[in-house]
Amino acid sequence: MAELTLTALGKRFDSHVALTEVSATFDDGEFVALLGPSGCGKTTLLRLLAGFEAPTEGEIAVDGTLVASARSGKLLPPEERNMGIVFQSYALWPHMSVARNVAYPLEVRGFSRAERRTRVAAALEMTGLTDYADRMPAALSGGQRQRVALARSLVADPSAVLLDEPLANLDLSLRATMQEAFAAFHQRTGATMVYVTHDQTEAMAMADRVAVMDGGRIRQFATPEVLYSEPADAFVAGFVGDGAVVPVEPCGPSDTGDVTVRLLGQEVSARARVAGPDRLCIRPEDITLGDEGALRAEVRQCTYLGGRFRLRLIAEGGLDLVAFSTARVRQGASLGLTIGRPWGFAAEVAHG
Amino acid sequence: MTPKMATNMGGSRSGDWLLSALMGLAILLTLAPVVRLLVEGVSGPAGFSLAPVAEVLAQSTTLSALWHSIFTAGVGTVISVILGGAFAFLVALTDIRAKGALVFCLMIPMMIPPQITALAWTQVMGPSSVLLKTIGLAPPLGSPQPLHSPLGIAVLLGIQHTSIVFLTLRAGLRAIPPEAVEAARISGARGLRLWWQVVLPLSVPSLAAGTAMAFVTALGNFGIPAMLGIPAGYSTLPTLIYQRLAGLGTSVLTEVAVLALLIGVVALAGVLLNRLFLRRRAYGLIGLANRPLEVSLRHLRLPVELALWLVIFAILVLPLLALAATSLVPAYGVPLNWQTISLGGWYEALFRQPVTARAFGNSFLLATGAAVVLMAISLPLAWVMLRRPNRLSRTFDLLVDLPYALPGVVLAIACILLFINLPLTDLTLYGTIWIIFIAYIARFFTVMLRPVQSALAQLDPAMEEAAQSAGASLGRRLRTIILPLTAPAAAAGAILVFLTAFNELTVSALLWSSGTETLGVVIFNLEDSGETVMASAVSVAVVGVVIVLMGAIQLASRRLPKGVVPWQN
Ligand SMILES: Nc1ncnc2c1ncn2[C@@H]1O[C@H](COP(=O)(O)OP(=O)(O)OP(=O)(O)O)[C@@H](O)[C@H]1O
Ligand SMILES: [Mg+2]
Repeated sequence: MAELTLTALGKRFDSHVALTEVSATFDDGEFVALLGPSGCGKTTLLRLLAGFEAPTEGEIAVDGTLVASARSGKLLPPEERNMGIVFQSYALWPHMSVARNVAYPLEVRGFSRAERRTRVAAALEMTGLTDYADRMPAALSGGQRQRVALARSLVADPSAVLLDEPLANLDLSLRATMQEAFAAFHQRTGATMVYVTHDQTEAMAMADRVAVMDGGRIRQFATPEVLYSEPADAFVAGFVGDGAVVPVEPCGPSDTGDVTVRLLGQEVSARARVAGPDRLCIRPEDITLGDEGALRAEVRQCTYLGGRFRLRLIAEGGLDLVAFSTARVRQGASLGLTIGRPWGFAAEVAHG
Repeated sequence: MTPKMATNMGGSRSGDWLLSALMGLAILLTLAPVVRLLVEGVSGPAGFSLAPVAEVLAQSTTLSALWHSIFTAGVGTVISVILGGAFAFLVALTDIRAKGALVFCLMIPMMIPPQITALAWTQVMGPSSVLLKTIGLAPPLGSPQPLHSPLGIAVLLGIQHTSIVFLTLRAGLRAIPPEAVEAARISGARGLRLWWQVVLPLSVPSLAAGTAMAFVTALGNFGIPAMLGIPAGYSTLPTLIYQRLAGLGTSVLTEVAVLALLIGVVALAGVLLNRLFLRRRAYGLIGLANRPLEVSLRHLRLPVELALWLVIFAILVLPLLALAATSLVPAYGVPLNWQTISLGGWYEALFRQPVTARAFGNSFLLATGAAVVLMAISLPLAWVMLRRPNRLSRTFDLLVDLPYALPGVVLAIACILLFINLPLTDLTLYGTIWIIFIAYIARFFTVMLRPVQSALAQLDPAMEEAAQSAGASLGRRLRTIILPLTAPAAAAGAILVFLTAFNELTVSALLWSSGTETLGVVIFNLEDSGETVMASAVSVAVVGVVIVLMGAIQLASRRLPKGVVPWQN
């Protein structure tokens, strides 16, 4: 169990900047997801936490104790950090049986044979691998290998578990099962977990808080519901959830405590943390469709999502919007829209 | 990043000083001889001087030997590439049968010492050939031995090094994912087009690597030009060095050092040319080569198989038969038949001459020792070079091939220069078995290191990082994760080191003294003093031992982990 504190962390590979100005605190026992497009630095951040890479700027502390610092050059090696890690490639040792793979961290820590046996049995039991203890990794399915890697990372009660896209290679149903297993493990042990993924549904479903990353920065670090309803910038709004980001003119505060903005000549009342937002994030739920309505839009595409239809709309100024409908709508039909309390933010966000 | 942090990277420092010491030792072993040679080559009576270089280069014997070396090695390499390339493509890509047996037979010429190859072939041809006499086809006495010629040397060099090209190319072909070829076939490519447009371009890097290695090895070959060229008055650089040294002793060391450097320069030029060529053409291969390709030859299969076995017969069985025939006559030149057959030569060579038994013992000890020591230091060394590269280790990586690429004679001279007086003492290693041992370590370092390096490079680094996260220290990771996973490659390297060291002649030819003879030396000396029958007998015995050893490894291969048998990869 550990609290991980990152302070102005940066990592440069030669001239390529992989991470800059990353500051965050992962609370003790928290389940944190790192979410972002390919190449945004998720793996790099994870490897910094594990100690496989040294930061080129800033520092990392575990429970208040400095483990890596670019300034002093201090770097606690991975073998002394007491963390568990699950690699995307699993990295099982092909020359050891499943039980030996899982027992290895205990052997290294000098546990007695009896203690090892009970702990390994418990870890295998928890991951449903008891019957496979004596198999070699080559004789396992992808999902089973994945569970071995998980069991191995958990067996020694690490203070934090780092997972790098551990479910990327699995099929949908196995994914769901494994997600439940992670959640259950997290609940039982209370270990701090850092989970890398580029699947937003996975991140939103499992994590207490999600750090959305892009271009080597954390764009927003918040709970899933805040990310969805109050995105900090256009990137987060576009990357998380469905909907559209549109430019607006700010008109000042409204009497209900919201702000008023002008969208295509119409006054719209919006939630915001800044006084004069010039962008709106309009989620499909924010749009009510009707024949009447101040705004008019044409239906470009209608896709069935199961239970409801997703409409792609083009509004008067050439504006792209997304809305949900309970009935199928003909392509080319013209609809009226009412927009209720979307989220407003300023396009220019000062970073750092 | 500060330098201090760079050394901290990857964690534990516990084993670091040990690894640094190891690195230092390895560099000392492999590079000191070469450096010493360089120093000798450019020093006159009063310190640094290029005069010896100019003097040696001005001699016409030097230039003609240089040309002879390049010619024989060049033509020999062409032959190696044609033979080895054909075998590799057919064995790796088609559905011919009995591949295992073919590969095994093709490996044997490489394991047979070159001077035995030369001896065997002179027994196939020429006026004194026991084989020809026995079947009544011998040319009249006094007619020339056709192999005592530049082309004869080149052909035998080519045969000797066929398996080098074969092994390198086959390894490369195996790495081609079958999907690449299958995708081309689906697109309509077939037959020669498939081969020319897909397979060949993808195998160019390994073909080039094999070619360079065959050339460099041929350049340094001593046994074949010594046995065939010296009687004909045709010198290559290695034999010229040998003759200079044998004629005038250590007083010509400087001159000899320059000659040695000259071979080194040509060899290095070959290697660099190859690297330059490859830089523009190494394609990364995507996908896993899990299934071997098996293009069906259909009605051509039987003729192709017959042709391959005919080649094996010509380059392996025929010379060995001739050698065996020669070892069974009472005196050289007598035809072999039921009246003349005699085991006298065998008895005399193996039981009456104590030197033979001694040489068997020496060669066995040297080869085993070299294999064991190299295996022990190569793994940690390869690890340091891969995971903590610095300028030192990169230099070492570039130069570790040098003692192997340099002709054995050159390395031998370098070792003499280095060890004739141990620094700070009155001791000398010259004349002891240790000088041969150290020379072997230097020479065969790369044979051991390269397979381990490539096995290590293929390991997913996450394997080791997972252990590191589990809390394992460096030593423990090396022992429990890295060692078991690279053991097959290390064992393969060790087998190669043993087999090559067991038969080695070129290095020991200059380093032996009474009591430290190796097998190569014994055979060479017997032949040199006209005892062709006894030389043949010892040769057949050595070849027999090699084949039995290889056969034992082959038989055990089913119970060994995949990758241990070097010719099976
Ligand atoms: N060892 C390295 N040397 C140089 N550049 C690197 C290195 N490792 C990562 N990078 C670069 O740093 C950036 C971030 O890489 P990282 O692996 O952290 O991305 P990621 O977010 O994990 O992406 P993905 O989702 O595709 O795995 C990339 O542009 C990558 O090319
Ligand atoms: Mg990644």
